[in-house]
Amino acid sequence: MDNEIISSIEAKFPEAVLSSASENKRILLTVKEANFHQILSNLKDMGFDHLSDVTVVDYINEGEFELIYHIWSHSKKIRAIVKTRIPRESPRIKSIVDLWVGAQIHEREGHEMFGVEFEGNPDLSPLFLEDWDEIPPFRKDFDIREYVKKEYYGEDKGYFG
Amino acid sequence: MKKLTPRVIKSKAEARTYSLWAINYFTACGFMELLPWVGSGYDMERFGIVAVSTPRHADVLIVAGYVTKKAVKRIKMIYDQMASPKYVLALGSCPMTGGMYWDSYSTVKRIDEYIPVDMWILGCPPKPENIGHGIVMAMHAIKGGFEGH
Repeated sequence: MDNEIISSIEAKFPEAVLSSASENKRILLTVKEANFHQILSNLKDMGFDHLSDVTVVDYINEGEFELIYHIWSHSKKIRAIVKTRIPRESPRIKSIVDLWVGAQIHEREGHEMFGVEFEGNPDLSPLFLEDWDEIPPFRKDFDIREYVKKEYYGEDKGYFG
Repeated sequence: MKKLTPRVIKSKAEARTYSLWAINYFTACGFMELLPWVGSGYDMERFGIVAVSTPRHADVLIVAGYVTKKAVKRIKMIYDQMASPKYVLALGSCPMTGGMYWDSYSTVKRIDEYIPVDMWILGCPPKPENIGHGIVMAMHAIKGGFEGH
């Protein structure tokens, strides 16, 4: 059944699917950003009614953010992982709140921790951080040690001074 | 006001010692180690320590576990609402040095930069026995007339 889903997506979007794999009721699809929303919409129509998570990975050497959508089908008992990449300089992507309402809080966190702009999300206000004026902390170019030294230990002191 | 005699002062301190009401600010594993004291295992109520639900009734603030930048504001708020004399107990290495979060961007490293701490209880997390030892030491100090920072 896993391969049927993959082949139907590949048939519908022949250009968009960059790579695919499946094993033991798990599907992995790497897709182009241009079609990712349509592909997720199609998968939802196939019965993937639950969104488990939306995560972001910072590939700083490649200059890209990877967005990973974990979705799950209660009827088929299949987990699908859809990955797509966006450029790091202008991290903007269409929100999937219109497909799964639960995406709202995941996207809000992704916005806060990585600075990804989810277009269409109604509320991207800070979630966990208060009084934050640095770059988003989960980005790879955020120097945690330097920030901690400046913020908590003092520039002239050592970590244990 | 009439001057208190030494005997009254002594009995005041003694009364305070055996009715320490505690408000807890627990964020992490420190609470798991204090639970035997809250429950019947070590039973802190036999020392007169009662967990209260409002800072206005509390004499002791127990901070257990790491404190984030966000949480320290709330702890300060709780501390400011407590009536004097008030005491602060910090449990575990996290409020002292940051503990295993020493290089975390979001946790405060030393809580005594924000509120005065009267008793540091060592451990990562401290064992229930350590906590009991710390509480009894604090009680001795309060009995001796210590009124907090």
